[in-house]
Amino acid sequence: MPAISTEAKVGLFVLIGLVVLAYMSFRVGQPGFGLKRGYDVSAVFDNVSGLEKGSAVQMAGVEIGQVESIELKDGKAVVKLRIRPDVRLDRNVRAAIRTHGVLGDKYLEVMPGSLIPGEKSAYLKEGETIQYTERQADIDRLLSQVTLIADDIKNVTSSLSNTLGTPEGEESIRKILYNVRDFSENLNRVVARNDENFTEMVTNLKSASKEMERTFAALSQITDEVNQGKGTVGTLLKDKSVADNLNKTLAALNDISKKINEGRGTIGRLVNDEETVDNLNESLSGISRYINKAEQFRTFLSYRGEYLFDRSDAKNYLELRIQPKQDKFYLLGLVSDPKGRRQTIETTSNGVTTTTTEYNQDKLLFSAQIGKRFKDLVLRGGLFENYGGLGMDYYMLNDKLRLTFEAFDFGRGSNRQTHVKGYGEYRLIKHVYLSAGWDDPFNTSTSSPFVGFSIKFEDEDLKYLLTTSPIPR
Amino acid sequence: MQDMIQLKDIHKSFGAQKVLDGLDLNIEDGQTTVIIGRSGGGKSVLLKHIIGLIRPDSGQVVVDGEDITKLNDKQLNEVRKKFGMLFQEGALFDSMTVGENVSFPLVEHTKMTDEEIRQVVAERLKAVGLTGVEGKMPSELSGGMRKRVALARAIALHPQIVLFDEPTTGLDPVLTEAINQLIIDTQRNLNLTCIVISHDIESIFRVGHKIALLYGGKIIEYGTPEEIRASKNPVLVQFLSGSTEGPIQIM
Amino acid sequence: MKGFLSLIDNLGKAVLRNVEEAGKILLLFFSVLSWAVRPPLKFKNIMKQMEFVGVKSIFVVVLTGTFTGMVMALQGYHGFRMFSAESLVGSTVALGMTRELGPVLTSLMVTARAGSAMAAELGSMRVTEQIDALYVMAANPIQHLIVPRIIAGIAMVPILTVVSDFVGIAGGYFVGVHVLQINEGLFLKNITKLVTLNDIYNGLVKAACFGLILSLVGCYKGFNTRGGAEGVGRATTEAVVLASISILVADYFLTAIMF
Repeated sequence: MPAISTEAKVGLFVLIGLVVLAYMSFRVGQPGFGLKRGYDVSAVFDNVSGLEKGSAVQMAGVEIGQVESIELKDGKAVVKLRIRPDVRLDRNVRAAIRTHGVLGDKYLEVMPGSLIPGEKSAYLKEGETIQYTERQADIDRLLSQVTLIADDIKNVTSSLSNTLGTPEGEESIRKILYNVRDFSENLNRVVARNDENFTEMVTNLKSASKEMERTFAALSQITDEVNQGKGTVGTLLKDKSVADNLNKTLAALNDISKKINEGRGTIGRLVNDEETVDNLNESLSGISRYINKAEQFRTFLSYRGEYLFDRSDAKNYLELRIQPKQDKFYLLGLVSDPKGRRQTIETTSNGVTTTTTEYNQDKLLFSAQIGKRFKDLVLRGGLFENYGGLGMDYYMLNDKLRLTFEAFDFGRGSNRQTHVKGYGEYRLIKHVYLSAGWDDPFNTSTSSPFVGFSIKFEDEDLKYLLTTSPIPR
Repeated sequence: MQDMIQLKDIHKSFGAQKVLDGLDLNIEDGQTTVIIGRSGGGKSVLLKHIIGLIRPDSGQVVVDGEDITKLNDKQLNEVRKKFGMLFQEGALFDSMTVGENVSFPLVEHTKMTDEEIRQVVAERLKAVGLTGVEGKMPSELSGGMRKRVALARAIALHPQIVLFDEPTTGLDPVLTEAINQLIIDTQRNLNLTCIVISHDIESIFRVGHKIALLYGGKIIEYGTPEEIRASKNPVLVQFLSGSTEGPIQIM
Repeated sequence: MKGFLSLIDNLGKAVLRNVEEAGKILLLFFSVLSWAVRPPLKFKNIMKQMEFVGVKSIFVVVLTGTFTGMVMALQGYHGFRMFSAESLVGSTVALGMTRELGPVLTSLMVTARAGSAMAAELGSMRVTEQIDALYVMAANPIQHLIVPRIIAGIAMVPILTVVSDFVGIAGGYFVGVHVLQINEGLFLKNITKLVTLNDIYNGLVKAACFGLILSLVGCYKGFNTRGGAEGVGRATTEAVVLASISILVADYFLTAIMF
């Protein structure tokens, strides 16, 4: 048997994998494949909960189509059904929502309706609506009501059985029955004896109602007189001088409020004085300025790691950015460079001075910068990794992308060039950034392209720590 | 004579342990220099400095006029093409056949056709005294044969410098002699600059044009075999005689 | 008090060590990325690794996949029988396999088989100076050794997962229909009805992530082996443990994102 090459084995394996994947996707990916044809009818229900797009439509247990869509119209659910073309539905079919088993899926059952005598049989056509739908029995509601009823019945029966089930209970019931019989006998006797008295009472009531009729007539006469201005109450309501007095009082009130407006009197002066307003305004603006300051003041902490390809090593940056105003910030940073801090040592032997450069790897580098932002451009200056320098950031895409250029360590001794660094940083998601660029291209031993990632977040606690200490305005 | 490699004031520590402490050494072009010293005394570390596998804490490693401590990975790779190295256990890739092992540098760094590569591989294997082993796996070879294959791989690209990390350790006297002869022949035929690390006293006098003794992180003796034999340096005397008495502390 | 302080000290050191390790693995990933886009790709090595990770893992993956599907069918049957919903066994097996068990079991098996082998192989190459030899021959070990393994991991684990999904469902079908006598039509219909394309594809995305994790961790542990044959053994164990844990943790987050 000839040996099968590695490539052939891998190729065959990949092929098998793809075929299996294609087969599974095909089986799963096309629910109701082949039901593209057919016709649509709709049915309206009060409640279709549990029914979904793709649910089965059955008739006599045979699947004849599926639910195409469910829409809400006038507070009712309109279900559109796609029916197989070879199935014809009578115009008077009924539709109902049913469940497979207790916990199974919901499906839509279509049942043949009873033929109305004399009506000609016809079939549902595309777009027509099934006329008769059954309300879905809400199992939950049903069950809970049944439970409540059962509870009540149980309570009644249990108390009944408590009272009646015992010998005492039987005795007392017997007594009650005797009492009832006695009572009704007595009642009969009383009614018979007082027959005359009742007749008299009814006559009295009759005469009393006549008396009341007369009283109402008199009352109506009194109200007529008041309307015409007769009597005390009539005069009070109809006299003109009363209205005049009221008018005068109102005018005086008017006068007082006018005086306040013009700044006369104590209240007037207080209300109308410009100084008061100024004072008030100033204290309000003072408060808001302090709040603004605290609002504007922001601090950010960030960590950035950069992987330097040509040095196969990583540089780490830890930075605190204090931003007292929107367009101004201070940057404090710690940098760990695999190369370490450069130290120049001069040694003099035999009159010849030699300068050697050493790197101390244990030492961290420091950055301290001040920056100002002009629209999308930021200029920075200060200490960069222990050396003086300048930096420039340009923000693009709503601050999502930052292009940065830095130049520092201009002096660098005799044999070294200015340290230049250029890179772009892109915000991948909130707080997480990716960066790529070139570090120190002019010095061959440290020059390297790099990729990095950084995490930045705003620190509220630091901010309040810094703002609660007094800030000069 | 011109110096191929110059090591200037090399310092290297691993943690608190100082391995190289101001080491200076010049390796002459076209000569075999043997570096001797105690086991664990930093000889392998020194070798790895020469080929740029380890960077010194301070100091310079000048190869062919270029300070390799200042180079980045890409430039370093260019310098490394001048080197061949024979590792202690051979370091053959055990997932590849002998032929693939020897052809590896050729496939990586030249544009030769398969046929040309096959020829060069056969030639190099022949130079180390092996024929018809291309199809074997390294695990099927004996220790001595593995070293020969490793040497064939080291000289595949015609390097100027070949480094040997204890080439005779763990071999019987006959094989040791054969490997020594191989080093001598290869060096002469290809006009190589060789650096050999060894503790085998017989071997060092046989293969070395120059011998250097590494002790306490420095080269404390350097000279021709005759000069070394005549030296009165107590460390050297103790080392050559294999005595337990002397300045070398036995832990 | 002193004991308490040293406890905190050790705890801090352990946390620091783990964070450092995570960072180193991430850096390795970055340099793998940079080498993966730098030609030439080592096609021969990639094929070799694909054969090792993919083709040679088929047997164990098919075995675990089939039995997992069969066991799920058996277990599910007893649960669903209480509700007379036995026909849902098929879709339970299918959903379980495609979403969760297919990717996770496959990648755990591949971790045990190939991830450990990667760590052992690179580890022994490290201790026998073969990795140094690559450097000396001006060849980058990441390009030659790690990139092919990681490409193989990312590409092969999803394909193995497809196979595992399929045989798992097939195993469930066999037990459900032929052993437990569940109605065949309903069994299959519920599978096609309840499983969606997204279930399958999200499972495959997971599998690719797991493939990356197991090969990256295996290579990292092997590449940084120290200390002879014992070191190789330690690296192998650590690779399997770390990769398995990472896969399970990553599974939680990927599931939270996707479903």
